[in-house]
Amino acid sequence: MSAAGVETADTTTQPPSSPGGFDTRTLVRPAVIAALLLFVVLALPSILSTYYVDAMIQVAIWSIVALGLGLLVGRVGLVSLGQAAVLALGAWVAARILFATSLPYPLVLLAAGLITMVLGTLVGLPALRLSGLYLALITLMLAGAITVVLATTNFPNGGHGFLGYNGSAVHIPQIRRPSIANTDTAFLRYSVIVAALMFLLVLAHVRTRPGRAWAAIRQSESAALAAGINTTLYKLWAFALASFVTGVAGGLLAGSSRYLYSYDFTTQESITLLAVVLMGGIFSLWGAIIAGLLLQLLPQLLNSWGVSPDWLTILFGIGVLQVLLTAPAGLVDQVPKDLARLGRLLRGLARRVAPAGGRSP
Amino acid sequence: MHPFILMALSLPSWQDEWPFLVTGLALGGVYALSGVGMIVLYRTTGVLNLSFGAVGAFGALIAWQLINHSGVNQWLAYLVCILFSGVLTLAYGMVFGRALAGRDPLVKTTATLGLTLVLLGVMDLLWTSSGGASRAITLPTDNHGFMIGQVQVSTTDVIGLAVGVALTIVTTAFLRYSKLGTAMRAMANDREITATLGVPVRRVEAAAWFGCGIVSGVAGILLADLVALDATTLTFLVISSLAAALIARLSSIVITFVAAIVIGVVDALITPIQSLSNYRDMTPFVLAAVALLVINRHRVISISQEGI
Repeated sequence: MSAAGVETADTTTQPPSSPGGFDTRTLVRPAVIAALLLFVVLALPSILSTYYVDAMIQVAIWSIVALGLGLLVGRVGLVSLGQAAVLALGAWVAARILFATSLPYPLVLLAAGLITMVLGTLVGLPALRLSGLYLALITLMLAGAITVVLATTNFPNGGHGFLGYNGSAVHIPQIRRPSIANTDTAFLRYSVIVAALMFLLVLAHVRTRPGRAWAAIRQSESAALAAGINTTLYKLWAFALASFVTGVAGGLLAGSSRYLYSYDFTTQESITLLAVVLMGGIFSLWGAIIAGLLLQLLPQLLNSWGVSPDWLTILFGIGVLQVLLTAPAGLVDQVPKDLARLGRLLRGLARRVAPAGGRSP
Repeated sequence: MHPFILMALSLPSWQDEWPFLVTGLALGGVYALSGVGMIVLYRTTGVLNLSFGAVGAFGALIAWQLINHSGVNQWLAYLVCILFSGVLTLAYGMVFGRALAGRDPLVKTTATLGLTLVLLGVMDLLWTSSGGASRAITLPTDNHGFMIGQVQVSTTDVIGLAVGVALTIVTTAFLRYSKLGTAMRAMANDREITATLGVPVRRVEAAAWFGCGIVSGVAGILLADLVALDATTLTFLVISSLAAALIARLSSIVITFVAAIVIGVVDALITPIQSLSNYRDMTPFVLAAVALLVINRHRVISISQEGI
């Protein structure tokens, strides 16, 4: 219930409150978020079983990916259908650096983010001057193309040369993790902290000049252009930021799974990702966390109940249609509203039933 | 010179390329078929049907089920596949196409991804691909054929190219001369004004949805025979047709046809070149990206009306 309360409080679409006025909400919200974060970092890893620790690591990682895509779709109005491929790029770069050097892990994450940022931006370049539909299509094709390349080059596994792939290795070394986070529980803490940093980075952008420019572009590109906003620059900026956080997520993914395989990054994965991001809610940063939970925790839950993951694919498909038709703000917006409506309904029922119950016996 | 460059330059002789040219033309024909089907729907309704491949795959799997487990005559099964694809696409168009009619093309296109996911999930449930179950559709025309020089050409290859050519010609003529076609062209320009002029807009849209579905069923069967009967493969083969449509800027049917043939042929001709063979499936993306860059050198920013 407390989580639902937080979601109601956080409607990031509203303008930030003035720094001077200390009304209770401005203090309560960061406090609740900090408490939640402390709970997830300190308590949660020790409570969960190994099975769910693994799942939660993936939730943290995919929340970052969803954050990047949500930024593109929700803030700027750009739809990318190839984010899983961008994640694969980030994971590849990180794995290559991890095998080639003994750099500290945070530096590797930074490098993976920056290199992915450059590659992702280059790819978006041809479509950025076109309407959104073209960008969606070109990224869909890009996802297909990257999948093809990865199937041939494979992920680095300690081999030599630029590609670092050793096909005949009998003993394949693991991708290393940060020395302070070698166990699964420690790696979960590490991932959550990195994810929190990425959320802060995006929040810092959304709340300042680029955020306002993106909002203007989203409302009307021609009006933004007329107001003197360099729309191409800011679209590119959004693309770069989304690619950066996705690259960092790729770096975490390399460490979390220890072995990477090209068939884990399919075109279908990119489409499913867009589906959960839309379902989670694209106008609030909380939507990204819900998307991560939908994408990584729900399959594990269903799996432990013996339900086929195919049902989830169907659910996500229906979810996309439902979001586009009736609830553009996603679960983040809808669930609190529905809960409130349910509450009113129950209270109304209770009021109607109580006198009736008093009279009838 | 670096040995790698020499290897890349050692092109196979033309004799080795001929069989691949035949395959490429056949595949290119089917890509053209799909591309034209998608463009006509896009021009009429503003929906780029990304579920095209999934619908065709579903139809082809139903046909496979009927032939192998119910003993239905195969031509009847193919007919069922085509009709099923038509009706399913029409049903989607009537429910969701109508509800989203006033929205931005990007929203309408994203919505078809919802249908794609639902179909992928159902197909995986009904015809699981785990456990190494392999299925195939073999058209009787595979065994008929003739020789050109020393190259074996099967009737299926001829059909693949022929349906692509035929649909391109028929659609062009249909749009130009028939009343329904004229209505479709009018709707591509402005839906509201067309409605004001007394054209039954919804009936015209229904015709476009049904036509697109029929085409996806035909493409589904042909691709199941020429490539593989696998839900995921067939669903995402639509990318090749999409690239062709994109090169044609989602408007010209003739350019779509030419681009689709080029994509099919280039993809196939690269196959025997060892150093590039593994990368050949990148062809649609590379060609579309280059075309977009070249076409849009001098274009100003285009502006969409509404985000998601």
